Amino acid sequence: MFLSQLPLPPAFGPAVALLLLAAMPASSAAEMPLSERIAQCAGCHGEDGNSQLEKIPSLAGQPEFFVLNQLFLMREGVRKIEAMMPFVKDLKDDDLSGLSKHFGSLAPKASGEAVDPAQLQRGAELVQARRCGSCHLPTLAGQEQAPRIAKQRIDYLIYALKAFRDGTRSGAETLMSASVAGMSDADFVALAHYAASR
Amino acid sequence: MHHCMMRTALLAGTVLGFVAAGPVAAQQPTPTATPSAAPAAPPGFSPMDKSNPSASQQDTNLKPHPTPPIATAVDKIPVDKLKLPAGFKAEIWSHGHPGGRTMVEGPKGTIFMGTRVIGRVYAITNKDGKREAKVLLQGLTQPNGLAMKDGSLYVFAINKVFRYDNIEDKLDNPGEPVELTAKFNLPDTIHHNWKYVAFGPDNKLYVQVGSNCNICEINPGVHGQIRRYDADGSNMEIMARGIRNTVGFDWHPQTKELWFNDNGRDWAGNAGPEDELNRIPKGQEGANFGFPYCHANGIADPDVKRPNPCAGVVLPAALLGPHAAGLGLKFYTGSMFPKNYQNVAFIARHGSWNREKKFGYDVVIARPQSNGTAKIEPFMTGLLDDQKNEFYGRPSYLLQMSDGSLLVSDETNGAIYRISYQPPQKTSRAH
Repeated sequence: MFLSQLPLPPAFGPAVALLLLAAMPASSAAEMPLSERIAQCAGCHGEDGNSQLEKIPSLAGQPEFFVLNQLFLMREGVRKIEAMMPFVKDLKDDDLSGLSKHFGSLAPKASGEAVDPAQLQRGAELVQARRCGSCHLPTLAGQEQAPRIAKQRIDYLIYALKAFRDGTRSGAETLMSASVAGMSDADFVALAHYAASR
Repeated sequence: MHHCMMRTALLAGTVLGFVAAGPVAAQQPTPTATPSAAPAAPPGFSPMDKSNPSASQQDTNLKPHPTPPIATAVDKIPVDKLKLPAGFKAEIWSHGHPGGRTMVEGPKGTIFMGTRVIGRVYAITNKDGKREAKVLLQGLTQPNGLAMKDGSLYVFAINKVFRYDNIEDKLDNPGEPVELTAKFNLPDTIHHNWKYVAFGPDNKLYVQVGSNCNICEINPGVHGQIRRYDADGSNMEIMARGIRNTVGFDWHPQTKELWFNDNGRDWAGNAGPEDELNRIPKGQEGANFGFPYCHANGIADPDVKRPNPCAGVVLPAALLGPHAAGLGLKFYTGSMFPKNYQNVAFIARHGSWNREKKFGYDVVIARPQSNGTAKIEPFMTGLLDDQKNEFYGRPSYLLQMSDGSLLVSDETNGAIYRISYQPPQKTSRAH
């Protein structure tokens, strides 16, 4: 599951947020063609849906249901992300479908963060032991409500896993809290490097 | 096998803290210690799940079914697939409320609906013979627990409790609720802690506290219980413990005993252990129902073991089937259905996820027997295609209307079905 629960990841600081808010025509928020909405997303999540910004998740290749569901939950305030609210608050159900189809159709690409080969074996063991593939698929490509974690940004994965463990992320299948229970920050680093490398 | 029943009226204070730092912490793996060792050995993948799927010999890619956040279009709602006994009829009573599950009725006839992940509470009103559904509350964390008392709506989300007084007078603007979270002092765990709540015949508010895991050691003073409180959250008592997760209960109209569903563990095989329908026998309030050591009709857990696992455990009144996921449970007291449905429990089975061949997705009835057990019979079927191994809807909760008809919510389709009964036309008997 992606898109942070905490108010603002460091990289999504005031500068980025203001830039985007300024770029959004104020009058057209409620009625906006899908292409404009997609262009808005690209500002942070990448032109091709693969994020180049720290702790901003990549959306390319995410399961359609996952994107639709998370946009819905953000719009409704179940997942409270201040930085996302201007972009999601006026989304109609048709927009949710359109955006989820769009991101689902894009090709996921690794972020370019350096993958530490020393983390991969431990990461693979943890994926096995924690049965991540049961919901995220053995390829970690995700399905239905479980997001793609393969090729996701390393810094974002670590951030999201901590949020699940520490109970600051809502709007997910509650099994996820059992899946990360008792894991250390070091485990999350290993998991993130492994998933990003898939 | 010991079938003796424990007689304990436990107050939480007597056992709080009993296991918290004990077995659970002791069994935690030390994942960073030996990075080059073999993958963490079974049993268990985390302190909150001691299961061993390879031993269960199930498809390891089974996963929970998602709930669509967008409702099914009315012409696609599978009401035509529903099959009922002769004389019963199903119709769409309302629709357009995605994820709607639990239902309670206000004194003025409003039906309130709780949800899980979607985070909404709906209010459904009657207008010109048609139902109108509106979003009353949103942005809550799994507000599945709803109860109604003296015109006040109680909303239990995960770890949050609110009361909206005179709610039916302010459906357009419910305003600020009275927050009772601190008074109820529920554990701050997430898994299996979306709530089911209901007022009992004693006017106490009964509250589910699930086991916060699939299968693990729990602190019986905190998790795996049914509690009861005064309506303001005071005077908590544990009414039953050793429960994995009950998300539906009701009181027998005559004996006033509490009957509850308990959904069995996952990753111990396609065959079960089967879900339970339990009864708290009179005088045995606070009794132990077996979790995590003893399941179903006395099956020892394969992963969390102790000697004599079923000693002192109250065994079920009936088994509800493997991974069936019984949610809503209602004893029928109306006058519309035939006499042999009086005081019979209707149970909505949400349907399996941790089972290769899907099971449930229906409504069954439980006929209480004089010896305290119950017999399970089919009632509403048709939402599961056995051949294709696909489901078309998920019956979730039940509500008896004042005319004696029965509402069944379908979480997947965002719809409510109304089940009514008309005696079959008497065919004129010759001579």
